[in-house]
Order: sequence, then structure tokens, then C-alpha cells
Amino acid sequence: MNGQGVSNGLIVRLAVLSVAVVFFQIGVVSEVPVFGVTVDLSTLLVAFIGLLCGSLVGAASGFAIGLLVDLALVQTLGLTSLVFTLVGYACGRLRELRDPQAALTPLLVGAGASACALVGYSAMEFMLGVDAPVSLQLLRQIVLGIVVNAIVAVPMWLLVRRCLTGGLPKDPRRRRRRAYTTGGLSPLSRT
Amino acid sequence: MHDKTVRRRRAVLALLVVLSLILLTAYFGEAPSGGLHSVQRGFLTVVAPIQDGANKALKPVRDLFGWFDGMVHAKSQNAQLRKENARLQREVVAEQAEKRSYRELLALFHVDQLGVSAYHPVTATVIGKTPNLWYSTVDIDKGESAGVHENDPVINENGFLVGRVAQTAPDGALVDLITDSSMGVSARVGSSDATGIVQPKVGDPNDLLLTYLPADAQANEGEYVVTSGTVASPDDSLYPPGLVIGQVTSTGEEGGFKSVNVRPIANLHELDIVQVLTSVPGSQPAQLSSLVTSLPSGKQGLAEPSTAGQLASTGAGG
Repeated sequence: MNGQGVSNGLIVRLAVLSVAVVFFQIGVVSEVPVFGVTVDLSTLLVAFIGLLCGSLVGAASGFAIGLLVDLALVQTLGLTSLVFTLVGYACGRLRELRDPQAALTPLLVGAGASACALVGYSAMEFMLGVDAPVSLQLLRQIVLGIVVNAIVAVPMWLLVRRCLTGGLPKDPRRRRRRAYTTGGLSPLSRT
Repeated sequence: MHDKTVRRRRAVLALLVVLSLILLTAYFGEAPSGGLHSVQRGFLTVVAPIQDGANKALKPVRDLFGWFDGMVHAKSQNAQLRKENARLQREVVAEQAEKRSYRELLALFHVDQLGVSAYHPVTATVIGKTPNLWYSTVDIDKGESAGVHENDPVINENGFLVGRVAQTAPDGALVDLITDSSMGVSARVGSSDATGIVQPKVGDPNDLLLTYLPADAQANEGEYVVTSGTVASPDDSLYPPGLVIGQVTSTGEEGGFKSVNVRPIANLHELDIVQVLTSVPGSQPAQLSSLVTSLPSGKQGLAEPSTAGQLASTGAGG
């Protein structure tokens, strides 16, 4: 991550988690509509991998998960990969540039990633020639999709973080931040 | 060091985006028998048994969610269904007499019509469902080895139309639901002889649109919309006649034609078991199916009313 090496343990964890989530999504979650829409766990997974592991792993995972989704659902190959690659990369960059620690971060990132994925996907479908009007119904479904994904974002974040924590390398910046918060090493505390 | 990291990061992103675009272009441009489609079918073959197993293992979880969902809606549905049931019972009695007369007339004029009896139903389990707005598809656990072919009609356990087979693998198949943006089914309102095309309304999974009906066609709220099953060339339909698609909710007018909003009657969110109406080689359904398969691929619009009937018998319709 961030140019550092990615351990084999992390790759295995990512692979197992991705396959499990995609099949759970296809087999169970997709058949349970909430407010008329279905939760999209795969988008949240990509976003949180980016948020935990950085842009490089986020983009690569997004591509792989998108490809898996397109293959499993027999959709236009490359479409979900493209959208998820960008979502994973963007979430990774957010972590690298801002490293947000607020409690609401997963919720906001989940909602933002879902919005980007839904709008990006819809735009791509229009470009590929789907004969559909941009109706209020479509916009309503997109907004509902974002809301429903945001609701599920926090438990999904906890799950992804729990699954990946053991495989994540130590981040020196994070160690420094923790040290500051204890007060012991903060430049302010010395004065 | 920092520059190297940035360059590496950007290079990987560019590579993945370009790779996605290459895949997208190649897939979109190639024929259904092309390499990427074959890889997808191969993948479906490999994962279908796994999905089937996972589907069975996770059924209790799905049922639990379904139970909560069902409880919320059960009370309001109960009263509505009781009324509906009483009305249907009255209708059945009247229909039975009409049906007898109809059969007698068919025999009298030696008219043969393509009905459900011309097909061989294959029962399949739904093992996966697409989660997004743009595709309404399900994966089923029966494929070529069970006699399932592309374009075979698919019905639910009540005999209501749910879609058609879009792609097949040896042990699995992909079904486009009637709410998928690629679908179009030639249909008529129960009381009328005029036929139109039922198309989905993208973004609204609970609504279909019956378009290209003559402006003076009768369509009353609550009436059933059924497949027309036209067998007069060139308007041949892939679907047998009389399969119920949905109920009329409202009507409107669009470009000199009547358009009818239709609520699908099959619960497409809770499909567990479906039946694929497979056809015997050489039969009329099989000929229609192979004709459609041989047509050029690509997403076709349904903009020209004059070609509505023909499109109804192509990959975009039926």
C-alpha cells in the first residue's frame, strides 16, 4: 500500500472476502429489496478496501471485484470493473490525503462511493446505448440506492475492517498520530 | 522515492482503466459466440454448482428476510386478495363456457395454435440475481444439458411470464426478466385484440409499459395483459399466447398510440422456482428461437412503431 509491499496474507484475505461478499450479494442480498431497491455490498466492499489499504490496492481490488461481478452476472464485461477501479482508487486517495478518522466516515464514504458507482454505471449504460429515458423514477431509485447503501455502510465497514486488520501492514503515519493523542510525544505537550 | 510511488500509482490506475476499456469494447463488439462470451459462459458453468450450493445453504437467511418483508405487507394484501379472489372465481365460471366454445370453433376450422402444450417445461431453481438498476437478470441451475436454449420463455410456478433465456451454459443459464432493459414482449390487453409491445421502464422495477397500441384500443384498469403469441408471419412471437404478464394500472397516449402502464403480476423479487418452456427440435418454437439467435447481436431500440411487430419477434422482443 502506498508503494509498500502487499503481504500474501492480505491478498488471501482480500480474495476470500471479495468472493464471499459477491456470492452473498448475488445469492441473498439481491433477492431482498429494501424500499424497492437492493443493497449493493460489492460497491461498499471496494470503497472500504480502498479506505483501509490505499489507492493502489483499492484500484486493483476494484478491478478484480468488478470483473468477478461481471463474470458471475453475465453482464457487459469491463463495465463494473471500470467503475469499481475508479471508486477504489478515489477512496484510497481519500485515505492517503486526508486519513479521515471521524465516526461518520464509513457512512459518508459508503454513500459517496454508492453515488459515484450508481451515477457512473448509469452514465456508461446510456453511452452504450440503453434506450431509456432519464426519468424521475430512475433518479428516485438512484437516491434510494444511495440511502440504503449508507444505512448498511457502518456494519459493512466493521466487517471489512475486522477481516483485513490482521493483514494490514503497520502505517507509520498512524502510529505517529496515536502517539500525539496520548500526549507523550506531542510537540505541544513539551512546552 | 515519492515521485516513484506517485508514478507507479498512476501507471497502475491507467493500466486498469485501459484494461477495462479494452474489455468493454471487445465484449460489446463481439458476437455472442465470441471469446469473451465463451469465457463468461465457462465461468457460469464453473460457478453454477457453487452458486446452487450457496443458494441452498443461504435459503434460511433469505427466507428470514422474506418473512419480515411479507409480514409488513400481508395485512394490506389480505383484504385486496380476498376481493380479487371473489372476482376471479366469477370470471373463471364465465371463461370456462367461453373456452369450450373456442375449442369447438378451433376444431371446426382446423386452426392450430401454438400453445404452452407445444413446449416442454423444465423446472429450475434460481441461484443468483443481479443487484443493479440496469440489468434484471437471474441465474438458474438448468442449462443446455437439460434442454434449455437461448430465447426459451420462462414462467414462474403460477404460469406467469417472468422472462426469457438470454445465455446458456451446460449446467446453468442466464434469464432476462421482463423488467430488463433488453426485453420486449408482444402482448395484448385481455379484452382487446390489438397487440403492442410490453417494455420495461428502466428505474422502476414495478412498472412495465405496453406501447404501440392503436389509439382506440380498450384498456381498463385492473385488466390483465397477456402475451399475444402471434403466429402470423412476420409477427411471430417467441412466447405462447395467453401467458399473463401483468395488470393495467393506468393508460396514456404517446405519439398517436395508446400506452398502458402495466404492473408485473409475477413477484420478480422472490423468484425461487421457475419453469423454462423448452422446445422440441424442429417445432415452431424451436424454429423461432433459432431464427432469433441467428440475428445480429446488439441492443436494438424499439423506436419505429411500424417495425414493432417484427421487433417483437427478434432478440429485442418476442
